Amino acid sequence: MTGKRFKTIAFDGLLKNNPTLRLVLGTCPTLALSTAAFNGIGMGLAVTFILICSNVLISLLRKTIPNAVRIPAFVIIIATFVTIVRMVLDKFIPSLYDSMGVYLPLIVVNCIILGRAESFASKNKVLDSACDGLFTGLGFTCALTLIGAVREILGAGAIFGYTLWDFKIEFFTSSAGAFFVYGLAIAIFNAVYSRIENIRRSKTFDLRIMPKPDVSAPDNLDPEASETAQANTTADVAAKEVK
Amino acid sequence: MTVKQFFKSQAFKCIIVLLVIALIAGGLLAILNDVLAVSDEERTMRAIEKVYGQKMKYEDMEFSAEELTNDYGSISKVYLLENGNYLVQSTGGNGYKGGTITVWVVLKADADGNFGGIEKVVLESYEKQTLMSKLTYDVYSAHNDEVTGDVYFTTGGDGIKVVVSGATYSTNALNNAVDCALKFAKDKLFAKEVA
Repeated sequence: MTGKRFKTIAFDGLLKNNPTLRLVLGTCPTLALSTAAFNGIGMGLAVTFILICSNVLISLLRKTIPNAVRIPAFVIIIATFVTIVRMVLDKFIPSLYDSMGVYLPLIVVNCIILGRAESFASKNKVLDSACDGLFTGLGFTCALTLIGAVREILGAGAIFGYTLWDFKIEFFTSSAGAFFVYGLAIAIFNAVYSRIENIRRSKTFDLRIMPKPDVSAPDNLDPEASETAQANTTADVAAKEVK
Repeated sequence: MTVKQFFKSQAFKCIIVLLVIALIAGGLLAILNDVLAVSDEERTMRAIEKVYGQKMKYEDMEFSAEELTNDYGSISKVYLLENGNYLVQSTGGNGYKGGTITVWVVLKADADGNFGGIEKVVLESYEKQTLMSKLTYDVYSAHNDEVTGDVYFTTGGDGIKVVVSGATYSTNALNNAVDCALKFAKDKLFAKEVA
């Protein structure tokens, strides 16, 4: 895997195709488990682990699994890893296991994991798929932790269980508060992302329409004709950009 | 289609691939289940730790199925703790959308071995109830002076009114779970002790 490919996968998973804030996938655990930042990290890391493992295994078996039974095969693989994560959490981190409740087994039908398996892992090499799982999972973890932190600070006056102050607005710990913070997070993220993307595009566009110095041009070229030629070049590039 | 054709067909390959994946996954999970299984003793110790913040020795107490069921719900486990109190796991129904709530109730014994009220109530699990995280374990122990005779907790009827903020229906199930433990304590647990 080249460095450029690695950067593209990382950028896609974390920002461009962030599952929570750009694609609005995995909404159910996002709303239910973002009451505290610790829950967000726990859920995010569990999903990341399952994403990496399932992506690697599905990528390894992509030429073995017949197309007709690929979805049931993916579900069995994902369910196996989810069950392993459940067992490990129940044994070693029971408090997190209790706080995740029913949303932990529901990872089996999480559309982020099934979506990455279907659209990426089943068509790409093992290392690419592992990176895709890692960065998509990290994107999900960051979003969940961010939303959880905001809700915990405003709703409980605490962060990661440590009390900051007595002031709290209970609305933010309720379901309505979850929708409110989630919607706000999507709006802010997309506004910032679109702005950065527009700036990046306009810079690329400016670079592309800059006239190249014509070394073969005669010295006695009419200045008016030169301007017209430059305008034509600009118009051509702009038209291509629009296409 | 002949048998030979079937064995060479795509359908056969699909069946074999799915079977192999399911068998390997099943085998792996069976091994891990054996390694990572949490014993009943460990779960009980976790419950005690959840209630008291520390581990404590306990003794399992046995009652008949009839003794463990009353009008409010059912009791699934009863333990006598090292400090002389009783830890009871109780489930109450009639919550929001018919959901149930299971709680651990610590029942105090006074110096004479009589029922001394509720010390703590800690949630174990709750189905279909969403606002139960607001429950604090001193909600019920604050009414220990009133829990005498045939007085129980309620959300609106006769008795001690207890409602967890914003969760009136869910508190029904919670009150039923606590009342179940309370009735068991009054009628069986401490009555049995005296006998």
